[in-house]
Amino acid sequence: MSADPYTAPVRALFADTAHSGDLPGGVAVVAEAQGVRVRLTAAVRGGRLASLRFRAFGCPHLIAACELFCRTLEGRAAAGLDGFSLAGIMRDLSVPVEKTGRILVLEDAVRMLRESIGDGPPSQSP
Amino acid sequence: MSAPIVYLDYAATTPVDERVAERMFECRTTAFANPSSNHAPGRRSRALIEEAAAALAKLLNVDPRTLIWTSGATESDNLAIAGAARHRAWRGRHLVTMPTEHKAVTDVFQMLENEGFEVTWLEPDERGRLDPETFRAALREDTQLASIMYVNNETGVIQDIAALGAICRDRDVLLHVDAAQAVGKIPIDLGELPVDLLSLTGHKFYGPKGIGALYIADRPGCHVEPLLFGGGQQRRIRPGTLPVDLIAGLGLAADIAAERLADDAAQVARLREVLWSGIADIDGLLVNGDPDGGYAGILNVSAAGVDGESLLLALEPLCVATGSACNSQSQEPSYVLRALGRSDSEAQASIRFSIGRPTTEADVEFAAERYRGAVARLREIAGGLAA
Repeated sequence: MSADPYTAPVRALFADTAHSGDLPGGVAVVAEAQGVRVRLTAAVRGGRLASLRFRAFGCPHLIAACELFCRTLEGRAAAGLDGFSLAGIMRDLSVPVEKTGRILVLEDAVRMLRESIGDGPPSQSP
Repeated sequence: MSAPIVYLDYAATTPVDERVAERMFECRTTAFANPSSNHAPGRRSRALIEEAAAALAKLLNVDPRTLIWTSGATESDNLAIAGAARHRAWRGRHLVTMPTEHKAVTDVFQMLENEGFEVTWLEPDERGRLDPETFRAALREDTQLASIMYVNNETGVIQDIAALGAICRDRDVLLHVDAAQAVGKIPIDLGELPVDLLSLTGHKFYGPKGIGALYIADRPGCHVEPLLFGGGQQRRIRPGTLPVDLIAGLGLAADIAAERLADDAAQVARLREVLWSGIADIDGLLVNGDPDGGYAGILNVSAAGVDGESLLLALEPLCVATGSACNSQSQEPSYVLRALGRSDSEAQASIRFSIGRPTTEADVEFAAERYRGAVARLREIAGGLAA
């Protein structure tokens, strides 16, 4: 059977959004476009993304992309956000081309997160 | 292994009744002859078609000779509207319909606008109903045809066809009714209802897909020009070799519907109540349509703060619809719900539950529980972002 708009990874990530939520006191940003909204929150310790959480209002591909982003980047150096591209995640999730614009909201959020974290000691904002 | 599905999308289509499937199979193997042929097998095919026409005519309380077989409601709508408008162009070039009609109707009116007809699009009230006085006021001297659907496919709203038809008769305007969601589900007595043209399809009431009918009242001035050419079948209104198996299947489905109409209606109403009582207290839930006067088998709701596409996936293995199934390839908010005053986000988050003959109490209880859980989970993931 074909014509399923969602790949197995999308279905699995959508079904298990362990990283949805907030981190009180973490660095938080919100990006919005085309009716889609993403909030990313990071707890930064020693230059590392100790914890990452997301909130998302959008389609299953967006929610899956947010969860995959958090799983991939959590525990890594904050500098890993530099020049972060969503291309790999979109390829892994087989995001249909017509949804690209909406999924790129996550990339905007990542860029904002990187700017909020900055290069200095971790700032903890509400 | 995936969980068994729970199907609550009977407004999109219904499964073929087993007895209907058996009748069709029997026809395919024993009544293959062309019903236009005059030999014995041809006469046998013709007799099966006449039997089916009689069954459908009985369900609608009409003369079987007023029925034209088509490929389904889309073709019936096209034939009725374009065929009548062109035939009666001498009478005037003004037409009346609503933006909440099915695309099989609205697209034909848009085509007729391109041909030089003028169309008045009457807006419904916030519950989706058309006020007969608004309708009366829209009719002009040069109005020749109006098309209003009986039961809305997205909301279940029932229009007051008796009142609208009476106004049309008074003003010598033909009334076409798209009854695809009504036939076999609610009583329709065309012996009483002042309707000139009525479209229906078999697959909405446990008959086969690919077969429908158009009722054309036997009244002066009520006629349609054909859209297809190539033979003398069906008084040249709709030529082409008739599919005996499909027609026989539709006929039996009509027989069964007539027999079960009251029981089906009672069961659907009871199950809708179970479903509704299971979700009614969800915060921010909106009913799309007329909660007091609609067809009980369709319940359309919008939950604030959730994305419709995500909701549909979160509801699996529950099979429901967002907007019209015919329009589900599009992510655009439902134009029907927008016409009822719903915002883009409310329309996009809409879910249509539709209950059918095979639906059980366990099905609707599962649906209510699943819907509650999915809405709560997506609201949790959104964390207030949708506000």
